[in-house]
Amino acid sequence: MVKTSYMRLKGSQHLRQRLLLSTLAATPILIDEIRPDDTWPGLRPHEISLLRLLEKISDDCVVEINETGTKLKYKPGVLMGGRYHVHDCGLSRSIGYFLEPLIVLGLFGKKPLSIRLKGITNDSKDPSVDTFRSTTLNILKRFGVPSEGLELKIESRGAPPQGGGEVILNVPMIPSSLAAVTWIDEGMVKRIRGVTFSTRVSSQFENTMIHAARGIFNRLLPDVHIFTDHKSGEQAGKSPGFGISLVAETTSGCFISTDTAVCYARGEDADDDDEKKELMPPEDIGEQAASVLLGEIEQGGVVDSTHQGLLFLLCALCPQDVSKVRVGKLSPYAIETLRHIRDFLGVKFVIKPDPTTETVILKCVGCGLKNLSRKLS
Amino acid sequence: SKWKESLIERTISRQNTNLMQLVYGNSALKSTTSIGEGQGSSEDEESEDDEFFKPKGESEKKSSEGLENGNVSAEDCSKLTYRVDLKNWKDEELIEGIRDRFVTGNWSK
Repeated sequence: MVKTSYMRLKGSQHLRQRLLLSTLAATPILIDEIRPDDTWPGLRPHEISLLRLLEKISDDCVVEINETGTKLKYKPGVLMGGRYHVHDCGLSRSIGYFLEPLIVLGLFGKKPLSIRLKGITNDSKDPSVDTFRSTTLNILKRFGVPSEGLELKIESRGAPPQGGGEVILNVPMIPSSLAAVTWIDEGMVKRIRGVTFSTRVSSQFENTMIHAARGIFNRLLPDVHIFTDHKSGEQAGKSPGFGISLVAETTSGCFISTDTAVCYARGEDADDDDEKKELMPPEDIGEQAASVLLGEIEQGGVVDSTHQGLLFLLCALCPQDVSKVRVGKLSPYAIETLRHIRDFLGVKFVIKPDPTTETVILKCVGCGLKNLSRKLS
Repeated sequence: SKWKESLIERTISRQNTNLMQLVYGNSALKSTTSIGEGQGSSEDEESEDDEFFKPKGESEKKSSEGLENGNVSAEDCSKLTYRVDLKNWKDEELIEGIRDRFVTGNWSK
């Protein structure tokens, strides 16, 4: 038997990107020094959960973790996809944390992926499920992902700390590869859409948020519609919470989004060392979300700062063709994504600032990843 | 103060020109991951013994030499969790500044 050679990495940072790229590039990885000096050393519950999720959707993948959890060996298998998967995402991170790698992995499966995810649907740390519906899935479509079978259904919502939300994600597999894009025209914002949610609090909170957000947008654009989604009973999950997700659509078909949520902090969160904040009133949340969105629009670029990493990843996974995209200021997460793309896929972007608009233009030649797991008939 | 303004401008322009370097680092400088890759497994076992009794600060220094200094245990978030650049968008001037990014803006440009 051939001894597998592992790519050696250190530290707990960017575990999702590493696992994702390791799986796509079929490169086994060995990560050590995962939080060795913490009071609770090793992998966090959500990271373990992510590994379990990878095991679920792929065949023949090997995960080894040492006793303290500070060392991880991951040998990727063949992505299988398939239907009727159920995964409990736990309560330490929201479903968005899992969706981000999952939507990319699903594209390269043997069969279309359909999975039910349980946990927290909206929190302030990760993109909410509403943002995935409004923005992330649309970005995928740009790269030639068929829109048929690409959807995210929100069955019930769950706010931290108790969660209780459920979503169903459907991702089609791509026929053979993605399509390279030239996407540098961000266009002008033609409308703003959004959705608020409230679970186990008064639905009036939503109207207050919408009122506050509209107050800021109305001076710029009349076409603002923010919908409400008040959940009650079973569908409201187990914890009180409320929040808002906003998306600006441009004339050239770009989606710029932001979201936030307010809820009680997770009690037993080990690495939550900052002080527990007072809950923000809905009015401030509405205003803040609107301000963040305007900030994103001001930055320019065809995606918002949250989606930069995904955008670069998709560009790098394209066939050997030139992709060209424009983004605003590079986010730290996106920079780290670029580095990991270089390490795993060998794709290096040409990054040029565009001083007139204060944006950044990135160009790359895709690595030509094909959907090899796909069943050939 | 006024004398700082030109300095800030210059720093910003320099940052822009060195974006490639900012992201990928100097080509001469190996990133931490590529160093890790180069190590053979047998060699690693030996060095593990050496590192067993290393003072804590020393190994930390080594890891921070690379590009990813300081954020070895940074949280895995695509969303910017804190916003320092949150502006007061009720300000008329700011609104006018981005009006042209909307269809309601001046189209003649």
